[in-house]
Amino acid sequence: MKRFRAFFNIEKEEHWLNGQLQEGYRCTGISGLGIYTFEKTDKNFVMRLDYQEHLSKEKLGEYKGMYEDFGWDYIDGSTFSGIRYWQKESADQDVIFSDRQSQGSYYKRLMNYSLWLGMLSLFYALMLYKDSTLYHEGLWSMEGSLFWKAFLFETPFVLLKLLPALMAVLLGISYYQAYRKYSMLKV
Amino acid sequence: MKHPLLPLSETMHYILLALREPLHGYAVMQKIEEMSHGSVILAAGTLYGAIENLSKHGWIEPVGKSGRRKIYGITAEGLEVLKVEQKRLLHILSLYEGSEPDEEV
Repeated sequence: MKRFRAFFNIEKEEHWLNGQLQEGYRCTGISGLGIYTFEKTDKNFVMRLDYQEHLSKEKLGEYKGMYEDFGWDYIDGSTFSGIRYWQKESADQDVIFSDRQSQGSYYKRLMNYSLWLGMLSLFYALMLYKDSTLYHEGLWSMEGSLFWKAFLFETPFVLLKLLPALMAVLLGISYYQAYRKYSMLKV
Repeated sequence: MKHPLLPLSETMHYILLALREPLHGYAVMQKIEEMSHGSVILAAGTLYGAIENLSKHGWIEPVGKSGRRKIYGITAEGLEVLKVEQKRLLHILSLYEGSEPDEEV
């Protein structure tokens, strides 16, 4: 079974994935373009998402080795995003973080991730809107049905143009959500 | 300013105590489970992060390899940290015992 989904929030992604697994599936692959592949199983699997970027080859080996010793299987995700997907058969311990400190530093990493990607989207959006208006200037002087036809024709392109701004907003929201959880753990 | 890892968290404390004998990561978890009578069971990400952190501060270091796994041991600096923590905890324990600790001094 293949599913297509796009997420801007790692915890929502994790939640959605576990929802699929609870229906009797296990995940067999994730492509960077948002295509998730599942296969039927009669066992119970759980998935946990970690965020680790800039791992050297050696560090990645150590990182994977540690999780694998604990029974987690690495599912290749997109190599550039830094999200690490772990899956295992459900057992006594289904978490990857067992204390507040490590859970807190996980949220800290998520904050950095959203902040960095959000800034990038914002920067891209500003570049895009700097020297062009959303709709053609001429559109506003058109009249009647001609205006509506042109307006409807241009709208999909405008929505496409707004995508980076929308991404910046969504990433801003996930930054705030990670920050809330981080600060709750610290106090 | 105080060191960011002090006072030691339960996780860090147990890892330093366990690594007075050189062990690889997974064996650290098993040993801690035994040392704590099953009350502290570290998860993979927690142990990975803690080992990274303790190595960064030079309190533990890799001392060898067993297959692909790195074996870690506590450093002299790490032992020093344990001594300081022991003193701190002994003092707190002494406060538990005497109801008026001032009188004993």
